[in-house]
Amino acid sequence: MRSTWVWSMAVLALLAAACGSGADIEVADVWGRPSPSVATNGAFYMVITNNTEVADHLVAASSPACAAAELHESMMNDGVMGMAQVGPAGIEIPANGQTTLEVGGLHVMCIDKQAEFVAGERFDVTLEFENAGTVEVQAEIKES
Amino acid sequence: MTDTFAPEAEQPPSRRWLGLFLLLVPLLIAGLVFWWGFNRSQPHQFSGSVIQGLSAAPDFTLSSDRGPVSLSDYAGKVVMIYFGYTFCPDVCPTTLADAAAAVDSLSEDDAEDVQLIFVTIDPARDTADRIGEYVRHFDDRFVGLTGTEEEIGSVATLYGIYYRAGEGSEATGYLMEHTATLLVIDQAGNLKIVIPFGVEADAIASDLEYMLR
Repeated sequence: MRSTWVWSMAVLALLAAACGSGADIEVADVWGRPSPSVATNGAFYMVITNNTEVADHLVAASSPACAAAELHESMMNDGVMGMAQVGPAGIEIPANGQTTLEVGGLHVMCIDKQAEFVAGERFDVTLEFENAGTVEVQAEIKES
Repeated sequence: MTDTFAPEAEQPPSRRWLGLFLLLVPLLIAGLVFWWGFNRSQPHQFSGSVIQGLSAAPDFTLSSDRGPVSLSDYAGKVVMIYFGYTFCPDVCPTTLADAAAAVDSLSEDDAEDVQLIFVTIDPARDTADRIGEYVRHFDDRFVGLTGTEEEIGSVATLYGIYYRAGEGSEATGYLMEHTATLLVIDQAGNLKIVIPFGVEADAIASDLEYMLR
């Protein structure tokens, strides 16, 4: 009897943990690679979770570490690697779903770096979502 | 003064465990030896496309910030060649970081027998100084080369590398599209493997170690 109660509490706790802090949009593991100052540009990667019942879109990003920032995707076309800015709709984060910005795929392109991308540095990044609005995060510069 | 000596009904638990342990250790060692031997007898699985037969890697000479560099300067080494550009934010630095981590994980002797050459496909932006400083950030043994449009074009053609300037935004200017493979030449000077983008450091290291055996 007692154990049933304990179990149900544990399940509830797990469910609560899985739902996170309950924010509409959660952004985790925001990082960028260390790069030399002669490398004009950089990239930020992250995992974005949408806790709402409707799809949201990341439509813009900015950071004091970048003269400009654009949403880009690296992709292979006929065996050739290219990179293109994502369309005006932005990057979709599905309802109750997750989108990962990762190496060789979607990323925030940091154009004309304004800071040294040295391991251990942290830069503020402002993300703009269609529904959730502005979300402030910090990108950590690290090897991977 | 008479010691009552009761025969042990059973061994103390510690003794029993010791016996079991002594029995298991040789078994474990035998298993490990067998597993290692079995692994050694398997053919090496390369992490990219293997070039069958002998395909001599054509020599070329381009410019670095430390003077002209030819592929033949590294005869007898395993040479990795990558065509990319410093303006590239994602794919090129990822590949260089993986290649650097792979070389870093080799023994000192093995690492000395490996050379990475990074050839820019964006000579308009990448001067010899820029490309040199760029690659040495990843590993100071790496070499970065540039040249005229014609020189770069002819080396790329020799190695089946396609590239072109694609459209970018006002902020980025043009962005290059390019074949993003890591070409690996063996110690006999033959093109041996073409590693696609996305192969991680440990797999690259295992290929290099195999080729250096």
